[in-house]
Amino acid sequence: MDPLLYVFDLIVFIGIFSIVSLSLNLEFGFAGLANFGKVAFFLIGAYTYALLSQVGVPFYLCLVAGALISAIFGLVISLPALRLREDYLAIAILAFGEILRLIVKSEDWLAGGDWGVTVSPAISLVGASHRVDALINIALVYLCLFICFLVVQLLTNSPYGRVVRAIREDEVAAEALGKDKSKYKAQALMLGSAMTGIAGGLYAQYLQCVLPGMFMPMITFTVWIMVLLGGPANNWGALLGACLVEIFDRGTNIAKDYLTLPIDPSNLQYILFGALIIVVLLYRPQGLLKETQVRTKAMEMVRRGRSAVRNKGS
Amino acid sequence: MEEALLGIREVSKHFGGVYAVNGVSLDIKSGSIWGLVGPNGSGKTTLFNTVFGIHRPDEGAIYFNGNCISNLAPHQIYALGLVNAFQIPRLFSKLTVLDNMLVAARGHQGDGLLNSLFLRKSWQEQEAELADKAMEILELLELDHLALSSAGELSGGQRKLLEIGRGLMASPTLLLLDEPAAGVNPNLGRRIFEGIERLRQTMGLSFFIIEHRLEILFDFAHWVYVMDRGKIVIEGKPEEVVAAPVFYQVYLGE
Amino acid sequence: MINWAQVFFNSAITGSLYLIGAVGLTLTYGLSRFPNFAHAEFITLGAYIGYLVAEQLGLGLPSALVVAFSVTGIVGVLCYCGILQPLARGGASIIHLMVASIALGFIFRHSIGALWTWKPLYFTAAWSAFDIGPLRISGLWVGLIFAALVLSLAMHFLLMNTKIGKAIRASASNPELALASGINVDRVVWITWFIGAGLAAVAGIFRGADTQIWPMTGWDIILPIFAVAILGGIGNFYGSIVAAFIIGLAENIGVVGLIALGFSTTYRIGIAFLILIITLIVRPQGLAMLFRRA
Repeated sequence: MDPLLYVFDLIVFIGIFSIVSLSLNLEFGFAGLANFGKVAFFLIGAYTYALLSQVGVPFYLCLVAGALISAIFGLVISLPALRLREDYLAIAILAFGEILRLIVKSEDWLAGGDWGVTVSPAISLVGASHRVDALINIALVYLCLFICFLVVQLLTNSPYGRVVRAIREDEVAAEALGKDKSKYKAQALMLGSAMTGIAGGLYAQYLQCVLPGMFMPMITFTVWIMVLLGGPANNWGALLGACLVEIFDRGTNIAKDYLTLPIDPSNLQYILFGALIIVVLLYRPQGLLKETQVRTKAMEMVRRGRSAVRNKGS
Repeated sequence: MEEALLGIREVSKHFGGVYAVNGVSLDIKSGSIWGLVGPNGSGKTTLFNTVFGIHRPDEGAIYFNGNCISNLAPHQIYALGLVNAFQIPRLFSKLTVLDNMLVAARGHQGDGLLNSLFLRKSWQEQEAELADKAMEILELLELDHLALSSAGELSGGQRKLLEIGRGLMASPTLLLLDEPAAGVNPNLGRRIFEGIERLRQTMGLSFFIIEHRLEILFDFAHWVYVMDRGKIVIEGKPEEVVAAPVFYQVYLGE
Repeated sequence: MINWAQVFFNSAITGSLYLIGAVGLTLTYGLSRFPNFAHAEFITLGAYIGYLVAEQLGLGLPSALVVAFSVTGIVGVLCYCGILQPLARGGASIIHLMVASIALGFIFRHSIGALWTWKPLYFTAAWSAFDIGPLRISGLWVGLIFAALVLSLAMHFLLMNTKIGKAIRASASNPELALASGINVDRVVWITWFIGAGLAAVAGIFRGADTQIWPMTGWDIILPIFAVAILGGIGNFYGSIVAAFIIGLAENIGVVGLIALGFSTTYRIGIAFLILIITLIVRPQGLAMLFRRA
C-alpha cells in the first residue's frame, strides 16, 4: 500500500478518535460519568449520516443530524440513568449499547442488517487521486476536531467547568451549593454524545460504509484506554491518548507484515493493551497529563497576584 | 413582632421508628446569631439536614422568608438564600481552595452552558469580582495563602474553615453552621466567631449555629435553643439558659 | 401450538447455566464492591481448560470439570490478589477496578486466542437428544440442571452450616464487624473469589458443550449473568437462584413471543439486557429485600 496514503489514513483515524476521546474525557474525566456505551453513540452518528446521505441530504446537515440524534439518545438515557451509582450507570449504558447493536444487526429494513449501508464521501472531487481524497478528509475531520476541542476547552475553563468538576467530586456538596446536578450531568452526556455522533458520521463517510461489525464494544474500551492513558480531565491528554493508542494499533498491524512473532500480532496487541491499562491504573492513575485546573482570566490574575506578593515579600 | 426568617413548625423526622427530631418548633429572626445546643444524639444535625432539604420532614412544615421549603431540594433552598455548611466538610478535593469558594457563588453568569461559551466578557468581569470577594473571605479565615493549593491538601482545621468560607461566599440570608469551632484550637474558634459577628454587622447576615463549645457560643449568640432527644427543652438568652436547672440535667444526665 | 413443557424445560436449562455462572459474580461483586468483568474470561478459561483436559489430553469430561474448577479458581484468586486488591488498597475507584477487570479480560481472552486460535472448538462427546413425551431432552441438559441443583444445595449447606459459610455471610453484610469478630476477612474474600471463578469455569464447560468453545464464550453470556446477579440482589445467593430462573423463563417465553410477533430470534439475548437495564433503573437492589441475606 502507498505509504503516504497509509500515513494519511492514520492521521484521519487519529482525528476521528480524538473527537470521541475528547467526548469521553468530558463525560468521565470532567463529569465523572462512566460511559461504557460510547460505541452506541458512535453507531448512531454513523448510521444517521449513512441513511440521510443516501437520500441526498448534504454532508454538513448529515453531520449535524448525527450530532442531534446522538444527543437526543444521550438525553433519553440520562433521564433514568443519572441518579444511578457510577458502576450501575456503566453497566446500564454498556447494555444499552449492546441492545442497539443487536437491533441494527437484526433489522434489515432499517440499515441493511449485517450487510450495512454504503455511504458516499462528504466531498469528492471528480478524478481526484486517493491521496487527495485522504487530504480532503483530513481537512474535514480536523476542522470538526478543532471546533470540538475549542468548545470543550472553553467550557472546562469556565465557571461551568468548575461546577461540573465539583459535581464529579461530591455531588451532595455541589447540590448544597445550589447546583442542579442532574442538569449538568445530562448536559455533559448530551454534549459528549453529540460530539461522538459527529465523529460517527465522519467515520461513516470516510470508510464509505456502515456495518454492525464496525461497532463492537472493543471501540468503547479503546476510547477508554485513550482517556485513561492520556489523562482524565485534561483535553490535551485526550488528544495525546488518541494519538498514542492509534499509533500503537497501527504499529502492531504493521509488525504483523514485517516481523514474525511467536504470537499473532492482533492477539498480542490486545494483550499489550490490557497490560498497558493495568500498568497505568497501578502506577499512574492520573494518566500521562495531569488533570487541568480551571483557567479563567480571574484565576490568572490571582495567580499573578500571588507571585507578585510572594516576590515582594522575599 | 417581625416575621420569622426561618419558621420550623412541629417538625418530626424518624428513621425506621426512631424519632431523631420529635415535634420541634422554633423561629429564627433575621439579623442575629442563634444557637442550637444539646448533647450528642439529640437530633441537632438531623434538624439542620431536614431544614436544608437533605431529609424530608415526616411531620410539620418549614418556612423560609415566607416560602414553604419542606419539599424543596437542597439546590432550590440554596437559591432562596438559605445555606448549609456541613459538619464534616465536604470539599471538592481536586479543586483549588479558590475554586471551592467560587463554586459556592450564587447566580454566577458563567454557570450556564450557553452563557459560559458565548457571554464570556460578562462572566469574566463577574468572576473577577467574585475572586476578590473570595480572597477577602479567605483572608478573614487566614486561608488566603492556600488559595491556589488543592483542597485535598488542607489540614482538618483548615477544611473546617474552608467549609464555612464557602457558605459565606453565597451571600446567604441565613447560614446554618454545624459546629464551626470544632476541631480548631479555641483561639481560632473564638476568632471565627468574631468574624461571624463582624459579618453579621457589616453584611446583615443571620446565623443559626450548632456548637458544642458553649463558652464561645454563649458569648456571641443572642438566643439559644437547647435540644434533647429530639425535642426543644428550653430556649432563651444564653445567660438565662445557663441559669436554668434543666440545662444541666440535659447535659449531665439525671 | 406452543409446547409449554419444552419452554419450561428450556427455561430450566437457561436458568441453570446462568445460575452457575452468576453465583461467583454476585458473591464477589457483593464482597469486593465492584463489577468484575473478567468473570467473563473465567467462564471462557474454564471452557478451554475443559477442552484441554477432555479432548486434547483425552481424560474425559468429569476430570475436565474438576481440573477446570480448580485451575480457574486459582487464577481467579491470583487476579484478585495480584492486581485488583492492590488497586483497591491504593484507592482506586469502582470504575477503575471495573476497567482493570475488563483489561484483565482482554489479556485472558487474547492469550486464549493466541494459544488455541479463534476457530470455534467442540467437545467430541456426543449428547444426542431424545424425546420423552412432548419434551426433547439430552443428557447434557439434564446434567446441567442437575449440576445447578447440586450447586444450590451445596452452597446452601456451605453458607448456612459451615464456619466458612457463616464467615462469608458476615463479611458480606458487615466487613468491619466481621473483622472485629476475629474473622480473617482477607481469607474469606480469597475463598469467595476461588469458588466464584471455579464455578464460572463449570458454567463455561457447559456452555461450550452446549454451543461452541471460542474466546468469546464468556463474553457472550456475561450480560445475562450480570442481569441475574443484579436482579437477585448483588451479593445475595438465594436471590440469584430466583433471578436465574426468572430470566431463563423470560428469555424462553420471550422467544415464543418474538416468533409470534415476527421478530428475529437474535433478540433473545436482548431480553436479559432489557431486564438488566430496567432492574438497574427501577430497583437496583434487585429482589434482595425479599430474601434472607446470603
